[in-house]
Amino acid sequence: MNFWFAVLRQVGRNLRQTWASQLMTLLTVSLSVLIFAFFYLIYTNMLNVGGKLGDDLRLIVYLNDEPGPEMQEQLRRKITDFDQVQEIRFISKADAYERFANQLGDNKDVLKDMPTDFLPASVEVVPLKTLRSLNQVKLFSEYLSKLPGTLKVQYGQDWVERFFYFIRLLSIVVILSGSLLILTSIFMVAYTIRLTIMGRQAELELLKLVGATNNYIRTPFMLEGLLQGFFGSSFGLVSLFTLYQWIKTHFSGPGILNLFSFTFFTPHILAVIIIISILLCTVGSYMSMQKFLRI
Amino acid sequence: MTDTNAPSPPIIVEMIKVSKSYPPDIKALADISMTVETGEMFFLIGMSGAGKTTLLKLICNMETPSNGLIEVSGQNIHQLKGKKLARLRQKIGVAYQDFKLLTDRTVAENVAIAMEVSYKKPPIISKRVKDLLAQLQLSDKHDTITGELSRGEQQRVTLARAVANSPTLILVDEPTGNLDATTTEKVMNLLNKCNSSGATIIIATHDESLYRRSNHRIMELHRGKIRQINGGVQV
Repeated sequence: MNFWFAVLRQVGRNLRQTWASQLMTLLTVSLSVLIFAFFYLIYTNMLNVGGKLGDDLRLIVYLNDEPGPEMQEQLRRKITDFDQVQEIRFISKADAYERFANQLGDNKDVLKDMPTDFLPASVEVVPLKTLRSLNQVKLFSEYLSKLPGTLKVQYGQDWVERFFYFIRLLSIVVILSGSLLILTSIFMVAYTIRLTIMGRQAELELLKLVGATNNYIRTPFMLEGLLQGFFGSSFGLVSLFTLYQWIKTHFSGPGILNLFSFTFFTPHILAVIIIISILLCTVGSYMSMQKFLRI
Repeated sequence: MTDTNAPSPPIIVEMIKVSKSYPPDIKALADISMTVETGEMFFLIGMSGAGKTTLLKLICNMETPSNGLIEVSGQNIHQLKGKKLARLRQKIGVAYQDFKLLTDRTVAENVAIAMEVSYKKPPIISKRVKDLLAQLQLSDKHDTITGELSRGEQQRVTLARAVANSPTLILVDEPTGNLDATTTEKVMNLLNKCNSSGATIIIATHDESLYRRSNHRIMELHRGKIRQINGGVQV
């Protein structure tokens, strides 16, 4: 009989003897992973959405008057004084009218009696991709609004602000659920291992007396923690995937979910979540052994 | 004629001025010095409370001495740790007075545990367990939960576990306390067999019938001190 065969036998025996508390721990770890992974999945997808919104982000500076070539050059210089930008486009009153008419499509007849210069000229500023935070966008917008001849600056402020606040809130929820995962994994596993140790005190004492090595006694407990982490996290992630598939199936069609491509975790992230859960549970097991296993 | 130049067998247990006290001020053993040679059968006798069990516990490192030196196979057993201690313990079989059986496990599982820790192969373990149980008339109890056995049967299971791993040193504490004459004989036969195959055996007992007619050395303890060590014919 080799070491691992003996250890696996011990693990099997432990699991059979304390199956109820083991099952409770497994479910708790699964639930913690499910809660954390659920919010993390939303968070990562929202970050993707944020990234895409950032790609489309442009600030529109409405001007009092149509700028001439010299004025255009001055504005261009002033804008780039603040920061490098990806693109600056000048839109004349006539261009603005034409764009608007195109957007109206078949209803462009409503513009028939309107003068072609009723829309203000504007400058469309596409910031660099590095300009991502809400504060930076706000600062840039304030700077642009103070440029001479500026009527108003628009970039969908309300929407962008709400989105950024939502992301911030979501990041707090992810941190909280991550902490929950850490606490439950470590403490529940530590508690279960403690129960096992207490219940097998006589056996552990005997094992020591008949010459079992520390590894022979400790490894099964470490392995139990490891298995709790692996199966608990796998079960949690499988549940999340099932939930994800169900939502995708039942909410397919026109709706908010279809505005963005909502994706599941990559295999890489799944592996990281499982490995972290295993580590946390093993740490819980180790802590319990250090405290209660006297060998 | 005795050959005085013949090399004496190596010493397996050596105790030099060993004392053991328990709080608040109970002296269990005082200034015990003795040696046991490899392959010897050694009897430790004395009334209840004389210190026999304490002495066995010191030899197998269940207790630490308050003073003195104890060496087993040339190693100070109380300074050994980790793997070295585990390996030495695998070579010491102990039949405890309080049995130390896992009462929720079967007889076979209890006997096998001593061999499992030294990673013996399952078929070898199974064969050895059956063989030992047959020798101790416990074959029919192979799959019985140990908690359901009588005290006499439990005592024999403890003994089977102590000798199962073929240890070089076997410590037996009151091996026949709960046994009838026939079973006592079976137990002593098993111990003699182990002794014949090279194991050193230390038996703590107050059962005179065990050592009365033997030629083995006998050490008598009285209130934690050695009263006398004799050749074994008479005490």
